[in-house]
Amino acid sequence: MILESLWQGLEQSALGSYIASAEYAFPLIETFHVIAITTVVGTIAIMDLRLLGLTSRRWTVTSVSQDTLRLTWGAFVLAVITGLLMFISKAPTYMVNPYFLWKMVLIALAGINMAILHTGAWKTVGNWEIGDAIPASVKVAAGLSLAFWIIVVFCGRVIGFTLGVYIPA
Amino acid sequence: MVSLGDALFQMTGWLRTTWVVEFSLWVSETRPCIWLQENFLAIPTFQTIHILSIAVLFGSALMLNLRVLGYAGGGHSMEEMAKRFIPWLWGGLTALIVTGIILLVSEPVRNMVNPFFWIKMGTLVVTVLVTLWFHGAIKARMARWESQKEGQGAIRKGAVALIVLWCLVMAGGRWIAYAPV
Repeated sequence: MILESLWQGLEQSALGSYIASAEYAFPLIETFHVIAITTVVGTIAIMDLRLLGLTSRRWTVTSVSQDTLRLTWGAFVLAVITGLLMFISKAPTYMVNPYFLWKMVLIALAGINMAILHTGAWKTVGNWEIGDAIPASVKVAAGLSLAFWIIVVFCGRVIGFTLGVYIPA
Repeated sequence: MVSLGDALFQMTGWLRTTWVVEFSLWVSETRPCIWLQENFLAIPTFQTIHILSIAVLFGSALMLNLRVLGYAGGGHSMEEMAKRFIPWLWGGLTALIVTGIILLVSEPVRNMVNPFFWIKMGTLVVTVLVTLWFHGAIKARMARWESQKEGQGAIRKGAVALIVLWCLVMAGGRWIAYAPV
């Protein structure tokens, strides 16, 4: 299949084989990936807990968003870049790993969830960003966001234990 | 000159001559360790909670430290920031230590006969001590944070140092898997 040869081509590329074979390349990239995902999840949790009305309740939703959003996005970009670098070093192996595929699905779902929130209830944020009148749809989105990201971390961790279990044909 | 890899290799060799070997072998025969080893998803599950704990801790540290440096939280007073994030940092650290002990028991020899584990523990102790000083210094000045800017230099340096130190703790954790043996 065309896609399978694409994954093989990535793995065999100069960059892919360098990351797979150089003594400290993979762990070094992985270290930045962990720091990045920790920052993403930590800052998203601050936002989601505010949207659920569990913390920082006297702070406006927009002020919490301003404090966290740049960090979240900056760290997310770093996580994607380091993730791609690790991916191309073993692309065919990742593409047959169900935990990797679920992780990608959940990141996509987290993105869709965020897009729905921002094109919907967020438009009226001025009406509910202070006090106890947080719309139910916002709380659902915040709860889903936390759940998605927790499972993303879990899947990411299990990938490391199952690379030898799911072997590409 | 001795390379870093050689130095770590030698440290592993030295650890093999200490009480750590006997102790970690003893832990590896206890029931909690055997249970963690026999349940395939147990270790990744506790690792996930461990990572979520450092996420809570590091997110809180970033918010407070970036407020000190003037990059975030400008809409809130230093008192509000300290009140919001310091308890969450210690809560995250508590969960981190509890899950860390469980993970230590889950793979005792791999973890304890390992230079990165001890480097990480040393870095963690230093980081916690600097954090205690940092929080104390903020609490002492937070009521006059905006009106009295002079004398904040050390606190600002501490804010940068702590972000680096927590990153080193995370790096140490990741590199436990890559100790030269």
